Amino acid sequence: MEDVHERELVERCRSGDERAFQELVDRHKDLVFALIARTVQDRSRAEDLAQDVFLRIHRGLPYFRGEARLSTWIYRIVANVCLQDHDRAPRTSTLDEERDAHAVSVADRQFTDLEVRDRLEKAIARLPANYRLLIAAHYLQGVRYEELSEALQLPLGTVKTQLYRAKQQLRRLLETDLR
Amino acid sequence: MFCDEALDSIEAIAADELTPDGRVAAHLASCPNCAAALVGARSLEQMLRRRGVPAAPSQFTSRTMARVRRARWRNDQFLDVGFNVAIGLVLLVVLIGVWLLLNRSGLAVVSNDAVNLFGTGLVTFARRVAPSLPLYAGAAAVLATALGIWWWAERDSAL
Repeated sequence: MEDVHERELVERCRSGDERAFQELVDRHKDLVFALIARTVQDRSRAEDLAQDVFLRIHRGLPYFRGEARLSTWIYRIVANVCLQDHDRAPRTSTLDEERDAHAVSVADRQFTDLEVRDRLEKAIARLPANYRLLIAAHYLQGVRYEELSEALQLPLGTVKTQLYRAKQQLRRLLETDLR
Repeated sequence: MFCDEALDSIEAIAADELTPDGRVAAHLASCPNCAAALVGARSLEQMLRRRGVPAAPSQFTSRTMARVRRARWRNDQFLDVGFNVAIGLVLLVVLIGVWLLLNRSGLAVVSNDAVNLFGTGLVTFARRVAPSLPLYAGAAAVLATALGIWWWAERDSAL
């Protein structure tokens, strides 16, 4: 039923129905924005990139053959946009973050929830872009391994292995930070 | 069982995607380092699951639609220019072809006479029209203003 509605929506978008495209944006904006915001960690940049994703969707819909689910195709576009943005943007934050981490004295290591979250976000920001994207997508409700595998065009096993490696690296970063 | 072997499956165990078999379970129970790694991995798993989901800004859809419309308008403009240039080129080619044909067939001489005749006719027409020229200019200005307003309104709605 959902798939039928999705196909109808795509067809309406293809025929130039602006309201249909608006509905498509409304349906997918939260997931697209959350994925990007978790990957780039700058809200205004995230909004810009999320809009880029929908522009690409608008341009690409005539060529969307419907072999994959629409959401999977959208994840693929999100992945491309995030990775291209990572290639373009100079990585300047790491040094500052490391300096911040060293500046924290041992006495301050009594964590509140907020501090833990902050450390987690900083550690995630230090991961490679593809790992950040995997972590962001996997821990969003509804994004399954199979969809990730299809979206990133990677075998299921590779997606799982990369995700475990990402978490391993993240755990090490957090442990180093705590020492 | 070496620590490396157990550590390889720590993340999967922490995510409840793998149940440790007898050997791994025994190692985790006896090795403090691997047990601590599992505790750390479980704690990370919990933190990642509790991680907040950033919501899209309230004006996101309208701003996105505005960008889509702008992009489409630019695309249409580009197509219009392309179409006009193509038509211009085709006209130019046709004119050159006609001119070459006239020259080669000797019709150019005849066409010179025709041009002279047309020129004389044009001069006569201009003399007749000259007194009403301000009226035509006024009408043309009104038409240009109307077209300008229409273009401006169209552009505004496209944005």
